[in-house]
Amino acid sequence: MSRVEKKAPSVCTDLPLNNAEVCEKLHLMKELLKSCYGPRGRLKHVRNNIGGRVTTSSASSVILPALYSSQPLLNLIKTSVLNHISRFSDCGLFAGVFCLSLLEQARRHELRESLAIKVNKHCLSLCTSYLQRDDCACRVKIDFSSSQNLMTLAGSIISSKPACLLTEAEKLHISTMAVRAFLQTIPCSSPGPVTLGQTVTVTVRGLPVLDSAMFPGLLVETHDDFNQTDSSSELLRTVLFSTSLAGDLAELGDGTIEADPNLDTDLQILDQLLELGKQLVEDEVRLCVCQKVIHPVLQQYLRSHGVVVMERLGMALMEPLGTLAGTQPVATLHARIPSTAYGRVKNLSTKQFGFKTMLHLQADGEAAVCTAVLCHRNETMLDELKVVWRKTEDVLRLTLKEPSALLGGGCTETHLSAYVKHKLSLLLQGQQEASETAAGLRCSPAEFLLGVKVFCRSLDMVARSLEHDGGSSAMDLNHAHHWTVSANASEEDMAGGLGLCGCGLVENSSTEWTFLNTEYAEFCPAPLLGDSCRKPTVLDSFTAKVNALQVAVETANLALDVRYVIKDVN
Amino acid sequence: MLKSVTAKEHQYVGLHKLSALARTLHSFIGPQKSYKFIRDDRSGESALTCSCFCTIQNLDPTCALDQLVRETLQEHEKIYHTGSGCLMFLAGAWSNAALHGLRQGISITQIISAMSEGIEICLDAIRKSAVFFNGNDVILSRRSTAAAHSSRLSLSKKAFSEASNMSSNLQATPAKVYQQAQNGSGHRQIKLSRYFCETKSEMVSQFETYSVAHIAEALSHRCDNVMELAVEAMQIQSRNNQDISFVPFDITKVMTCVLFGLPEDCSCVVQGCIVLLADEKVSVFHHLKTKHLKVALVNGDLSHNYRHLGFKRPAGMQHVRDQPGVSGSSREEEWVKKVVKLLLDLGVNLILITGVACKVMVQHCCRHQILVVEKLNFSVLRNFAQSTGSVPVTYASQLGHHCVGTGVQLALWRDLSCHDRKLLLPVSISTGGNTELVTAILTSSVQCKLESLEDRFWACAYRLHHALKDRALLPGAGRTEMFCICHLQKQAKYCREKRTDSVPTAAAGTATALHTSVMLELMAEGLMDYITTVMINSGKLSKVKARTIVSGQLQTFDVHKGNAAKFPQLVLRNEATAVSSVKTTECAQTVEVYDNLCVKQEAWRKALDLVFLVLQTDGEVVSGVDQKMETDAMML
Repeated sequence: MSRVEKKAPSVCTDLPLNNAEVCEKLHLMKELLKSCYGPRGRLKHVRNNIGGRVTTSSASSVILPALYSSQPLLNLIKTSVLNHISRFSDCGLFAGVFCLSLLEQARRHELRESLAIKVNKHCLSLCTSYLQRDDCACRVKIDFSSSQNLMTLAGSIISSKPACLLTEAEKLHISTMAVRAFLQTIPCSSPGPVTLGQTVTVTVRGLPVLDSAMFPGLLVETHDDFNQTDSSSELLRTVLFSTSLAGDLAELGDGTIEADPNLDTDLQILDQLLELGKQLVEDEVRLCVCQKVIHPVLQQYLRSHGVVVMERLGMALMEPLGTLAGTQPVATLHARIPSTAYGRVKNLSTKQFGFKTMLHLQADGEAAVCTAVLCHRNETMLDELKVVWRKTEDVLRLTLKEPSALLGGGCTETHLSAYVKHKLSLLLQGQQEASETAAGLRCSPAEFLLGVKVFCRSLDMVARSLEHDGGSSAMDLNHAHHWTVSANASEEDMAGGLGLCGCGLVENSSTEWTFLNTEYAEFCPAPLLGDSCRKPTVLDSFTAKVNALQVAVETANLALDVRYVIKDVN
Repeated sequence: MLKSVTAKEHQYVGLHKLSALARTLHSFIGPQKSYKFIRDDRSGESALTCSCFCTIQNLDPTCALDQLVRETLQEHEKIYHTGSGCLMFLAGAWSNAALHGLRQGISITQIISAMSEGIEICLDAIRKSAVFFNGNDVILSRRSTAAAHSSRLSLSKKAFSEASNMSSNLQATPAKVYQQAQNGSGHRQIKLSRYFCETKSEMVSQFETYSVAHIAEALSHRCDNVMELAVEAMQIQSRNNQDISFVPFDITKVMTCVLFGLPEDCSCVVQGCIVLLADEKVSVFHHLKTKHLKVALVNGDLSHNYRHLGFKRPAGMQHVRDQPGVSGSSREEEWVKKVVKLLLDLGVNLILITGVACKVMVQHCCRHQILVVEKLNFSVLRNFAQSTGSVPVTYASQLGHHCVGTGVQLALWRDLSCHDRKLLLPVSISTGGNTELVTAILTSSVQCKLESLEDRFWACAYRLHHALKDRALLPGAGRTEMFCICHLQKQAKYCREKRTDSVPTAAAGTATALHTSVMLELMAEGLMDYITTVMINSGKLSKVKARTIVSGQLQTFDVHKGNAAKFPQLVLRNEATAVSSVKTTECAQTVEVYDNLCVKQEAWRKALDLVFLVLQTDGEVVSGVDQKMETDAMML
């Protein structure tokens, strides 16, 4: 009979959002995410407590997975932001900061949870419908016949992470590369359903950023010291293995085998491998690639018959190489390889990047696989560059779904906030409608307005998070764009003009402006006139931001709705 | 007010830490290094270190910054093998500069943009002051205005010839014949000889040459004896190379062998590969030493249970017997017998392996007069593969006739048995005249010095290697740094003037210009610190005196006309000349000191990258922390 242990009762926290400790932690998390936000954000060293590798980053995709909390509410927010990132790559910090601000502002203004939820929902639908409208003043159409907006979009994302430490020329180089890679993966004229190509990234440490380049086809690092491959321009018959050819029993898994002790299993498998090698040679295979390890004896055999051998390719490159060679990988060595399993690769050559030797493979036909070689001086910066590169790739692809972008630099946030405020106060002025809406939400108009204020303040808060050097944020009272004012700028400096707004579209158009943390009378944000020849210099992904907005509001609403936290402490 | 400052300062704890860490390593800067003991209080063990990299390697990283520093240094050392001290110093000095800037209310964004501008100025100045040379009929061109040359040339010509006289007197190495000449266009032309112009080779001396020995001397940084070894290694390498084209020093074909028990001046360089043999292998050696041997190369271990990298042993393997086991011999012995039989069939006398061999195997081989040499580098194996026509294999069972090479000879390098019976026997393995493999034998009678001696040898060898690869040198002894200081100060002055000149409307612009000028001055200050620290480390000079000398030099220097080589060398063998600090013939008698171009550029850039990363970091996210352990951390 098993021993019975006394169980501790579960701990139940009533109204977690009113709990001081929870609020403190929410605040801490908000400050943490806020400090990372934007191109001048601060970096964080991320490591574990046993002295593991240190990564230095300000990207939400790096920092959030390292955050563990004892509070389920924080984990809830973390998880929903991470889910957003996994789908859209961009705007993770935006979602986090906005969600946490909504929670904090609601508490600060002592707004009832149920009311906050309703008003948030109302405001959100107002925002999303406005963003979808044709006359939306903070949305920019992306025209695929010109690369300008695509370049701006790519450039904004690349400059958003300061740990990359890129100069202007380097930023331009990388964003040009990103746009070029994006355009190359779109097949030109294939009938039927269109499949996008792939970009594989290879990183090289220790070379200057400007050495980064794009190549058609695949570049695969060779670890092998024996490989003496001559470049050849002919077609090479290629076979691709996803099973291990190391001579071990990879397919055995957890099962057991009973064998006679006099039986040398290793030798038997090796015989089988050599049998396979013989078939490859007979079938005139010239390039043999394996995802895992190839037994040295088999390698020696194949090489002696003029086959180029590549082992330890890794999981990530299997699919692109399959596409490139036009074949499926062979997953077993116990059956004869059908001739359909062979693919073709063209133009084999070796390329040297710093200390890496790479084999360059090209497709026979027009397979849209290309390789981006990213270089940077040290590992920390290179890691961040890789994160940013992936993000840029994803965001550029999202434009195919919805060819729009939003103004960056905090202008979309301030604009939306001014719009929401204006729209809802209009509603209140037409008293009858207002009372209907308020009645629908079951609250007084004053309470309703307070809820709207919380929402707008939270949006403003995100824009204000862009400034980290002690400066303040301002908004003009005409177009409702966002400006940052440096800490040591005097009154007369400001009267002289604030220069360009955050997104670079408006220059000092209005002499009337307000600081973002102060009260201001509502106004209707005027759309920019079409005659302005100025182009935005900072753009954000439309799809990602709209989704981030929804994720933030819905997560905040969910958190507001939590009445009890029940924790099993056993 | 005071409170807010301290609170703000507290934020930049990373910069403080970096600068403190760099300060502890100041004694490793410059040619005059002092040793440091690192003691582990728990185990009572201690390590003797003499380089920045070694020290950091021996310290346990306790925080994220330590890790970052360690990673940066490791990366730098992996490629360049020298310059870590400079990197660390400047990281410290420039984090101080950043702290000063923050204290003056300059924002991080501005600091970064100003310092990025500063490093571009520095790197540009470095490029300008570099001395380039070219293949075997070399043009040694100084990239600066021709006007600057005319005054300099007469002086330097004298300096060169005098230096050559002196050095040939000082050292018993073959005399270095170098002169420099001037062609019509006003550019200096110096030829770099690949013939290591010995005095007897008359045909060479008719050329104007700038010998490798001279470059080596300039790069030795007072490790003359080890640098001599490096030069010798290169001589031996190129002796075999009949190809006339300019070949840089191939460092992958150099190995070291440390011998304890001999005085330091017994260190030398030998062609071929020197290994130490012990015990029963010695008798095998005596049996084989006069013969031409057949060699097999194994990349891996020589034991029956060794499997290649990536092989997974099946976990669920069970052996089932149908009758009680009466195994005559174990599997291992069976395997050994099989391999030895194969080796005997192939007539192999010598096996070179990268891993280790099992005991039974070694015993069997010795019994059959086959010599097993373990723990060799793969590059050595590859070299033997090339020169003997053998093929490296992973398993001994792979060996066949086409894998076995011939023509290897063993020879005793030096008989040390009179010193001590138990001593290891140094044996050279060579492939006749054509091997490019060179071994530097480093000896010392003090065992704990051997490691630092080896470090120094590699540092020297790599300096020479980089110089020949870059085909460029950088004026050393503080000259390049002073040149950079001049340029930084010039730009700082320009920024200040621009500010006062500008119209009041662009107010933000003037503030930026002012901040840039402050930051550039602070960066120059960091370099100044570097020079003075090197001077102080060289002894005899106080900090104040060193500073006076340097600033005196800077004031008299004209940025527009000169280049780095116009500065006198500040850190000299003879401090008296440094104090006199005037470019006289007396001063010129000492050897001109040079540095590596790419190493310095990279070290400076990496130092600033490190500062930027630390400067922009305001927090640390540590996962898996026990709540009770950390007191100053905030828990999520």
